[in-house]
Amino acid sequence: MAQLAQDSLLDPAYLNQIRDFSLLARVVVDGALPGIHRSLRQGRGNEFFQYRPYENGEDLKVVDWKVFAKRNELVAKTFQEDTNFNLFLVLDASGSMGYKGVRGTCSKLNYASMLAACFAYMGQKQGDRVGLFAYGEEVRQWISPSSGTAHLNRVLQGIASLEAKGKCDHEGAWEQFSTALPSRSMVVFLSDFLEAEEILADRLKFSLSAHHEALCLQILDPDEINLPDSEALRFVEMEGEREISSAPGVIREKYEIDMRKFQDQLKQKLSMVSAEFENFYTDQDLGYALRRFLGMRNRRGQ
Amino acid sequence: MLEFAQPAALWMGLSIGLPILAHMAYRRVTQKYAFPSLRFIRPSNIPRTGRKTPSDILLLILRILLFIVLTCLLADPYWNENPSIGIQSNQDETILAVDLSPSMTGGQALVEAKNLAYGFLSDQKSNTGLLAFGKKGLQEWPVGTDSESLKLAVQELEHGWERGDAQNMLERAPEMFSQNTFRKKLIVISDFQRGDWQSAFRDLASLGVEFEILGVGKNEQGGGRRANRSVVDARAVPAGPNTIRIWGVVRNWEDEKVEVNLSLWAGGEEKESKDIRLPPLASAQAQFLLPAGDFSTAMIRLEEEDFFPLDNNRTISLLAPPSKKFGFWFDDTNNPETIEESEFLRNAVLSAGGSSWDRWETKQENADGIRLGDPQGALELLMILGIESWFNDENLGPKLLDFLTTGGSALVTPGRRFSSTASIFKQNNLMDFSFLRVAGGANLNSIPFRIATLETSSSLGEVFSGKSARDLYLTAIRRFGILNNLGQDLQVPLRDRQGRPLVVIRNFETGGRLVFLTFRFCQTWTDLPLRNSFLPLLMELTESSVSGSNSSTRTTLEPGEKFGNKETFYAEIPGVFRFKDQVVEVVLSPVESSPDVFGTKEIVQALGGESKVLSSQDSGVGLLQDSARSLWLWFAIAATILLIIEMLWSRPFLDTAENPKTSHA
Repeated sequence: MAQLAQDSLLDPAYLNQIRDFSLLARVVVDGALPGIHRSLRQGRGNEFFQYRPYENGEDLKVVDWKVFAKRNELVAKTFQEDTNFNLFLVLDASGSMGYKGVRGTCSKLNYASMLAACFAYMGQKQGDRVGLFAYGEEVRQWISPSSGTAHLNRVLQGIASLEAKGKCDHEGAWEQFSTALPSRSMVVFLSDFLEAEEILADRLKFSLSAHHEALCLQILDPDEINLPDSEALRFVEMEGEREISSAPGVIREKYEIDMRKFQDQLKQKLSMVSAEFENFYTDQDLGYALRRFLGMRNRRGQ
Repeated sequence: MLEFAQPAALWMGLSIGLPILAHMAYRRVTQKYAFPSLRFIRPSNIPRTGRKTPSDILLLILRILLFIVLTCLLADPYWNENPSIGIQSNQDETILAVDLSPSMTGGQALVEAKNLAYGFLSDQKSNTGLLAFGKKGLQEWPVGTDSESLKLAVQELEHGWERGDAQNMLERAPEMFSQNTFRKKLIVISDFQRGDWQSAFRDLASLGVEFEILGVGKNEQGGGRRANRSVVDARAVPAGPNTIRIWGVVRNWEDEKVEVNLSLWAGGEEKESKDIRLPPLASAQAQFLLPAGDFSTAMIRLEEEDFFPLDNNRTISLLAPPSKKFGFWFDDTNNPETIEESEFLRNAVLSAGGSSWDRWETKQENADGIRLGDPQGALELLMILGIESWFNDENLGPKLLDFLTTGGSALVTPGRRFSSTASIFKQNNLMDFSFLRVAGGANLNSIPFRIATLETSSSLGEVFSGKSARDLYLTAIRRFGILNNLGQDLQVPLRDRQGRPLVVIRNFETGGRLVFLTFRFCQTWTDLPLRNSFLPLLMELTESSVSGSNSSTRTTLEPGEKFGNKETFYAEIPGVFRFKDQVVEVVLSPVESSPDVFGTKEIVQALGGESKVLSSQDSGVGLLQDSARSLWLWFAIAATILLIIEMLWSRPFLDTAENPKTSHA
């Protein structure tokens, strides 16, 4: 059961007002997941981790001789070891992602961006190499996975610069993306996946490989599962020019059944290629979404 | 009773209101709504919001009321205190006015006009009437005549001979419309020939009549209206013994010179033919000779066809005019002066006639008939000799006045007692003067009085010049009555050398003339009858009046004109006619031959400017103006008040979010 964000500090409505995604990610991740511990491996990395007393038998290379010269004490300098695990965030920034319904607190793209920022922050915190791939009708952002705080900031800036516009070309974008997919990657798709169920499973076959994981997070507005309350509306397609006049009250029930069916089909098809699927609504607490994400990640890691 | 000057506005309001109502009733509110995907959106029936119960009945009623008041405002409401007058027929009425003047025969204009009228009647949707003008006055078929009758009437229309008078039509046409007709339309079909239209004017717009003008007979394919030649004059005069000279004048209306063949027809055959060259826009004449007495009429004819055929011939009379008649009134007693005078005068007048075309004839029975109060025939000159008490005894004063007022001329000489003559003139209102005494009456052997020099500007001064004047001035007047205090309507053509009147004339408006001589034509009074100047003086004093009257010689009329006083001759078609003992020539009006036509602008001006539709109330026709009171201002005030209430009512409420309310706007 989805957890609604009302009266929560992690309500997207409030968080949406934070323009700095770096701050937002820290607030969300540290606020929502206070109990998660670093599982970073110390080793030969580039990123300094901590000092600790030298233990006999250790390689003398770990001794920080400058500290020994000052304090006449053997201190071992440890580094954060690279996990060599790539977290690739794939964001759909097409026009339909700009939808914000009556009950939604922010647009779907905003919600997805906040999630992606949190994922990137968490990934960086756990020593993963984080990359970004955003697309609409064309590729908007393509940042290859890397580690480090500076790279994280670059990713967050890339996320912040996204704007929902144009049609969505899932097939073309994913084709480009899959050619440059690094080994040992976790690919997190954030999209509404509308009109994409036919090609999605085909394009995510890489997930069958032991070196790759795919998580598909469907971001929807509450109106998209439960049509807005209005006597009659002339629906205009956001990524096209089609118009249909209809009474939401009349078609609501049938529409919801069709949407649920569509989500089930999507889930079923993705499961066949060993990809995880989860849907989120823009009125849901971000902490809930993060926990769901961690749960998925953990399941994949087992 | 509330009525509307512009009821069409009510229909307009209805035509606007009903679609709005239908739109409100059947409208479907489909607000545009951008949605990510229409994949699972299905079209569905959209409920009509108009069938929902109105949320604010009072506001709805207010708005309906406002709309009704605005519509009524546009319809120009007024209060009619006499409702029976203001009943609107709400029907359009149309009158077709077709020109039948002779010029319409040119270039098949009448055929064209009939086709237009027939076509209109076939398509007509309103009450239609027909008014034909230019043929013996007006012919009219009132509005409401059934279409078939009008079509038949149009088919049977024929041109007239009278000169067209569009003014008659313009005077009559507006009166043919019903008083309360909503829309009055006059369609004028004419060639708009300048002669027929130049004096026409009527402001139809001010009478609430809109008009349409349809010009016909332009003859664009046949060279225009100027392709015309016409016989403008023809006369016959004696040309020596047993011969008559006939001459005719032909006018060319074209801008270029042409050669035409002019022929003389008499006795049903062509007697003579001549080719004449006509300069541009000018006239030329040709002469023919015929033996006198062989034919009574002759016709001058142009042989070539042209635009206007009616003016291509002219018929004239070849008969001598009837002789002019004279007679006497005098006392039955054998007065030697009267007998001598009458003999002089009879011989003089009889010898005054020239040829056989200008003769005088004694008709004493006609003079006696007038004297007895039973006129037998015409009399041009009546001579009353030695007027005295017998005139009053027979009560001849009124009879003489009757004769004079019917155009006759009378010559009066005094009686033995001049004072009696003067009193008779005064008693019978014949002339206004005072009698002083008789000059030269005492001594017959005294020096005679002489005639004074004639004024050069007088008619007698033009007649007598040179030797004839000298003969006149040598005339001896031995006795004459001295008159003074002459009335203003009296003329004195002849005086003695001391300026005393010798002849006094009173001209009547009808052409009659009363000539009073203050002396008698006998030896004891004057030697004038023995002089050469006697005859011209006598005829000049009397005949100028006689020739000016309509009762003389030959008369020329145009169709539509009348001739005669008691019995009237009405000229209808061109030709030569006998009326009593007169010969009357009827000729086509020469202005009908003119090719000039009015342009559209001139016609529109003649009809009072641009056509526009006005109701009878606006035009002032009818009696509504007196009994109607405009309610426009009241309705305007009501509309303003309702509008203000509506605006206040429907304005958005500026309440706080805690107490949200919706706007009615």
